Amino acid sequence: MDIVVEQRAPTTVVRINGSVDGLTADTLMTTLQQQIDVGNTRLVADLSGVSYTSSAGLRALLATVKQARSAGGDFRLAGVLPPVRKVLEMSGFTSILKLYADVDLAVASYPA
Amino acid sequence: MSPAPRKRVALVIGAGSVKCAAALGLWKVLKRENIAVDMVVGCSGGSLYAAAMALGYDAEETEAMTLSMWNRHVTKRRDYASMLGAFLPKLFRFRGHFAMVHGDPLLEALRKGFGDKTFADTVLPLHVVATELETGQQATLENGSIVDAVRASIAIPYIWEPWEVDGKLMLDGCLSAPLPVDVAIKEGADVILAMGFESPYPRRIRSATSYAFHVNSIYTNNLFRANYSFHNLAHHAEILPIVPEFGEPVNLFDTHKFGHVIACGAQAAEEQLPYLRQLLDEPQASTPGAETSRGR
Repeated sequence: MDIVVEQRAPTTVVRINGSVDGLTADTLMTTLQQQIDVGNTRLVADLSGVSYTSSAGLRALLATVKQARSAGGDFRLAGVLPPVRKVLEMSGFTSILKLYADVDLAVASYPA
Repeated sequence: MSPAPRKRVALVIGAGSVKCAAALGLWKVLKRENIAVDMVVGCSGGSLYAAAMALGYDAEETEAMTLSMWNRHVTKRRDYASMLGAFLPKLFRFRGHFAMVHGDPLLEALRKGFGDKTFADTVLPLHVVATELETGQQATLENGSIVDAVRASIAIPYIWEPWEVDGKLMLDGCLSAPLPVDVAIKEGADVILAMGFESPYPRRIRSATSYAFHVNSIYTNNLFRANYSFHNLAHHAEILPIVPEFGEPVNLFDTHKFGHVIACGAQAAEEQLPYLRQLLDEPQASTPGAETSRGR
């Protein structure tokens, strides 16, 4: 899995490529946690390069959204591909996470 | 130092009528790859396949068996006595439940497939999920007759009468656990292959039966998502969702689509295979996700 962090003030965009699963969840969580720890709590995950997620991946996403919201921000998803969207829907995540068609829309969803 | 224990693998097959045959595609892939399964769990239509796998039937045998047992004959005979009791209770005694379809042809079909086999005949631990009519509780059947367990698990409300097991009337498992991942978690599985299906909604509601199916689908789809969400968060290791894409509607008796359904199940399994292999090759002590969840 590759993770690239890009600042688009006041938002932090985290571009992820690869699978979000048990083998990569810890790396992803560490990266996202570091952003929250330095005050970058308005997060957008670009998932257009992610075609698979599992239960461990879902747990990582949930932990991040809880931490970001506790810190006054949010964790929003952009460009979710159909296989991942299906898993998010099956597991009820689409009812608690905000999803956008692309990164621009997700970034624009945060108030300036 | 003793070697790390092998991860325990469970195969969970949820409710989904003919779509559950996709589990045979998954089964073929697991067999080809020599991936051992430590337990099978089935619900409703999935219980047919879980039972066949646990009894050691191979995929071809199971396909032939379900083709011969699962056809329109099992729903052709109406249960007029039950319906009269429901709609004219003062004239005909109401039995506390009712069904539109007579249960005898279904029972004959199941007996044809499983005969007198019991859970003691299985070569793999088998857990069949049904729902207690009186309490609404999920019931996990693990003893006694396979026919009784499967018959209880597929007792679709309003369609077939509930079925008595151990003195309790049982309804379809999908009313309490459409994809019973919880049973695998409870039984100590690490890696859970969860093959689940959301119930389709009829394109048009043109009969009492299709209305009943539609309402059941609303309930069970919402329950499916709620349960699956909780189980994903509760499990210490990995749940791999294996959700075949059929590309076309697959209805209750589309047994002519078995080949397609099985191929889609195999395809869905192939997609999970690289990750499954990596997971199983990882030492147990560093089960991904286990540490992640403990760390929170």
